[in-house]
Amino acid sequence: MNMLSVKNLTVFYENAIAINKLSISVNKDEIVGVIGPNSAGKTTLMNTISGLMLDTKLKEDRRGGIRISIFGTIEFLGENISNTWPDKRVRKGIALCRERHPVFGESDVEENLKISGYLSSKEQLKESLSLVYDTFPKLLAMRRRKAGLMSGGEQQMLAIGIALMARPRLLLLDEPLLGLSPNIQAQLVEAIKKIKQQTNMTILITEQFARPLIPIIDRGYVIENGMFAFGGNKDELYGNPDVRKAYFGVDYDEE
Amino acid sequence: MLLSVLVYGFINSVILAMVALGFSITFGISRVANFSHGGFYILGGIFTWYGLIKLGMPYFLSAGLSIIIIGALGALMYKVILIRLRGLELSEVIATLSLGIVILELLRGLGVFGYEFRNPVFMDGSVDILGVGVGIQRIIIVCAGALLLILLHFFVHHTKMGLAFRGVAQQEHTALSVGINPDLVSMLSLAMGSVMCALSAVLILPLGVISVDEGYDILIKALAVCIIGGLESTLGVLVAAFIIGYIEVLTSMYISSALTSVVPLACMLGILLVRPSGIFGKSKEIEERV
Repeated sequence: MNMLSVKNLTVFYENAIAINKLSISVNKDEIVGVIGPNSAGKTTLMNTISGLMLDTKLKEDRRGGIRISIFGTIEFLGENISNTWPDKRVRKGIALCRERHPVFGESDVEENLKISGYLSSKEQLKESLSLVYDTFPKLLAMRRRKAGLMSGGEQQMLAIGIALMARPRLLLLDEPLLGLSPNIQAQLVEAIKKIKQQTNMTILITEQFARPLIPIIDRGYVIENGMFAFGGNKDELYGNPDVRKAYFGVDYDEE
Repeated sequence: MLLSVLVYGFINSVILAMVALGFSITFGISRVANFSHGGFYILGGIFTWYGLIKLGMPYFLSAGLSIIIIGALGALMYKVILIRLRGLELSEVIATLSLGIVILELLRGLGVFGYEFRNPVFMDGSVDILGVGVGIQRIIIVCAGALLLILLHFFVHHTKMGLAFRGVAQQEHTALSVGINPDLVSMLSLAMGSVMCALSAVLILPLGVISVDEGYDILIKALAVCIIGGLESTLGVLVAAFIIGYIEVLTSMYISSALTSVVPLACMLGILLVRPSGIFGKSKEIEERV
């Protein structure tokens, strides 16, 4: 079943094109990867799917700042949500874990999670809390720690926890492995796998260096300069020598 | 003499804290500096007076209605004016300041001046504290202030909406991406700040006459307390209120009561020179460790 389909999405910042006629689709129960270098448009894509781009655009318009133009459609479960505001999209079931783990720095871990359970009932909040603590036992041990004082890896775990608290059907993870040590990366990949098994969430995940993700994704898109460059299931991705060299750090003769 | 400095300084400090709290709450959550604070304060007092004296309503009803009206006015100001100016700090200040001046000067034009405009105290009489006679109204103010702080703490840390307030105050886009609507939160924060402003007016104005100039004075005091304490810190507001409160009382008792109105501004300028972000202001103590 088709869950998310982005059709002919084009995003301009003034005259600079960030996303160029990009179409991607995500089916229910899949983990889909979007792989691309810096400035390929990964974060713009995620912010447009979650709707944050609408808010940014509005603020820029009010201020008379950068002119942002968005074309194309975004459909979620068959419904056109292109003009739906981000908080409404969360209600429909899309939650984004933003790039570079912007958590609520002044609050402790538990308060971060409680803030993010804004839309849940009391029982749901309890349930989500135990899911997050179950997935990241480290967070349970640090639940009274001020989030701003945690390390990057811990903050990333919390950021994913924050998105989980919104109880999404489609979880968007924007570069969750960025800037973290291989050890922490492995822990996070394990955690994402576990989330998938326990909740049946559909997951769309962007990354630059995709090797750690290959074991868990079903399909992947490679985007460059905001355009579709290559797509396929993980074997096809791994089988393509160019993709393998650029995004998996594996050379032709190395195996 | 020393004891009366102690007692009256304490009461004066609580009054300052109450006046500043509404301003600080609104700014801390939505980053809107509500410069119509003084206007709302006097308007709250005048509405209470009008309901009580002119319409003959019971005191609590008239006061309650005024507080609700002022809260709605704050929300309306956000919905109609400020929402179009979000992020343009200077325009926000100009808009709220003009609204405050319009309110105050309109009241002046309508003839709000003189001894007639006076809300009665809730309860007559006085109590002896440490050998100093203190009017019951002042005792009520101190108790209400303490109660307000406790309620506020509970609200912010233990209710869903309060937690959403904290979320928006810290990371607007992260809050938005888990379903919190920052515009709704900002509007409610203005309503809440205005409610606190009107509440302090209802409690404090019976100590004197309602005058338009008091509105400007209140705005300056609230601003001074918030800037000295650090603009978004509730603890800072308390500490700053006690600093200014005691200095004011000391000045009026030992130097000259004519100089008390200079104290908040002088303290504010002093702090701006030494520590521009205020005593408890966030001067990047928690740097993001990446």
